[in-house]
Amino acid sequence: MLPDATVLNRILSDAGVTARVEETTLGIVAHVPCEMAVEALSALRGSDLDFHMLLDMLGADTGEGIEITYHLRSLSRDEDVFVKTEVAYDAALRSVWNLFPSALAPERETAELLGIKLDGHPNPKRLLTTDGVAALLRKSVAVRSAEEVRAR
Amino acid sequence: MTDARDIVTSVGELASEGTHDPGMPPAGIRRIPSGVDGLSTEHLIINMGPQHPSTHGVLRVIVEVDGEEVVAAESTLGYLHRGIEKLAETRRFDQLGTLMDRGDYVSGIHGEQAAALAVEKLMEIEVPSKARWIRSLMAELTRIASHLVWYGTFGLDTGAMGQFLYAMRDREAILDILEAVSGQRMMFNYVRPGGVVADLPVGIEAKIIAFCDGFDGYLEEHHALLGGNEIFQHRVKGVGVIDREMALAFGLSGANLRAAGVGFDVRRERPYDAYSELEFDVPIGTRGDAWDRYMVRMEEMRQSVRMVRQAIAGMPEGEHTAKVPKVIRVPAGEVYASVESSRGETAVHMVTDGGTSPVRYHYRGPSLFAVQLLEEILPGHLLADVVMMIGSLDIMLGEADR
Amino acid sequence: MAIDRLTGEHSIAFIRSEQLFDLARSHSLWYMAFGIACCAIEGLMSASGPRFDFDRMGVFFRASPRQADVMIVAGTVNLKMAETVRMLYDQMPEPKWVVAMGACANTGGPFREYPNVVLGVDKIVPVDVYIPGCPPRPESVQYAFIELQKKIRNRTGERLAARRDRT
Ligand code: SF4
Repeated sequence: MLPDATVLNRILSDAGVTARVEETTLGIVAHVPCEMAVEALSALRGSDLDFHMLLDMLGADTGEGIEITYHLRSLSRDEDVFVKTEVAYDAALRSVWNLFPSALAPERETAELLGIKLDGHPNPKRLLTTDGVAALLRKSVAVRSAEEVRAR
Repeated sequence: MTDARDIVTSVGELASEGTHDPGMPPAGIRRIPSGVDGLSTEHLIINMGPQHPSTHGVLRVIVEVDGEEVVAAESTLGYLHRGIEKLAETRRFDQLGTLMDRGDYVSGIHGEQAAALAVEKLMEIEVPSKARWIRSLMAELTRIASHLVWYGTFGLDTGAMGQFLYAMRDREAILDILEAVSGQRMMFNYVRPGGVVADLPVGIEAKIIAFCDGFDGYLEEHHALLGGNEIFQHRVKGVGVIDREMALAFGLSGANLRAAGVGFDVRRERPYDAYSELEFDVPIGTRGDAWDRYMVRMEEMRQSVRMVRQAIAGMPEGEHTAKVPKVIRVPAGEVYASVESSRGETAVHMVTDGGTSPVRYHYRGPSLFAVQLLEEILPGHLLADVVMMIGSLDIMLGEADR
Repeated sequence: MAIDRLTGEHSIAFIRSEQLFDLARSHSLWYMAFGIACCAIEGLMSASGPRFDFDRMGVFFRASPRQADVMIVAGTVNLKMAETVRMLYDQMPEPKWVVAMGACANTGGPFREYPNVVLGVDKIVPVDVYIPGCPPRPESVQYAFIELQKKIRNRTGERLAARRDRT
């Protein structure tokens, strides 16, 4: 279930990525800087840990920026790893679709709902909402209040 | 006067000397060549959905066809985007189940399980064994009900109407049981952090066993009715092949992944609730075509019945829920909890800060990954097979759009 | 059978042609197969299944709005869907009716706080019958159709009464 943190550290540093690997309630999490995220993912994919499946990808508004989490799985070793990176509010997220095609839709969704730009995506359109809808998952966007609903 | 048969042969000859690719047709499938030499065809854009009886909800697929053959496809989502993830940030932890029910609305229990497991993992709650067994029992009944919906609509997609009625008949029998246990037919809100909301009602065991006894035979009938139909076989065999590599690359899970030959089942690989104590087989396909996906799901129903019987026979005594405070405060942290739903790996990825609601709540819907695969797999298929592909992947838009 | 009910024991009824048409219409309400969300499973699928069997009421689904009399809005309508709902409604031939099924179609339901969700389908199309519930049971949908039938049968009478009042 949990990969070896030291092996993970070695693979990432061999690829020239400055990473901080820790074990949390989530599992093994590797924090990597935003500009090296793609390198880190490609190193993990090619390594003998064999993380060739991107199970999921999500973004979260932390108040300082958008935290992107990639969830990789290795079926041959039955291990999961989470790769986290921070993207500034006005920055662009580099697409990893040519490493993991399964990121195509989640990336579009994350970019649209958290209001960041998408870089290198073959189809960077909105996925879920229409033009003019705010970045709904941002903390600054509030849900409707009870009064608004009542006054519908 | 010309004999009608002559016309057919002459068109056939004409077509066969066109752009016919000898390597292409899979065994038993006759492909209509897209272009005839000397005749130019224009590409046509066809829009299917969001109101389309065969897109299973509100999926919209825009396909570009050259004659009968699809050359490009784009799936458009969002017609059911209603903010489950955002609203979860305003809900208490015991209210998350109501939202999850409405995500994958045909198999609500699985979503509830994922939400409850996530809370329990972070709070380190020990769930009583009776609660775990009831959960698994309910989950397997729900799986059968959900697969029956898929079975009925998949038949409708191929143009068969009869089995839909039989599938609905059996589904109603399951819904009666689920309603007796939880109080609702679809939106159960039965699984809560710490256990389940109420014990099984008195005498339900006999009803469930009676259902199982009948359903064993009905399942054979279902399979004979649809799977034994030669027209159906011709329409699904060799259609929509998703091989192992493609399935993994696109993040497929559940029956779709297993039909491609990857034997990953969350129930077996990462056992939750009572699955480590239940005995079941995980069916695996070999070719990854629509027929394999059909067979895997039919076999899964059989295995579910098997598990339901075991759960009734081995149901332990005890409490149906652990001691959980009225207002649940989950310690700060981050958690990933996944279950095997009817459609694949349904998971909750939750960030908490010690308060009464999550800070970030992410719901992984396996259908989202199946939908995005459509763009990749549809080109090269015939237009009629588009419907087969969508049907065989068992897509639920509620969890794709969330 | 319905004529019997209208005329009592007599076998002759004097009736306006509009009323006769409405009577006929109320017994063949074809609805459009337009399931949006969870409610569609109950209101369209279970309803046409063997237990609830809407066909016996003359309520039958059509795949195209051009052939439909009734639109059951079964589910949450969001901003992206709103345009489609209106377009489909406009494509239906007159006379047409709308049934708003479930809390979502009535008011936005459990998702009313989300800014992307329309607060009730009556913001987009005129609604004739509202069904509460999340999801309403198929029986409620059946009841809604019975109410709709009454509404259709009474509409000529109501129009005539209104005209009488005016003069
Ligand atoms: S009212 Fe309830 S069941 Fe119906 S669409 Fe809305 S959430 Fe789903």
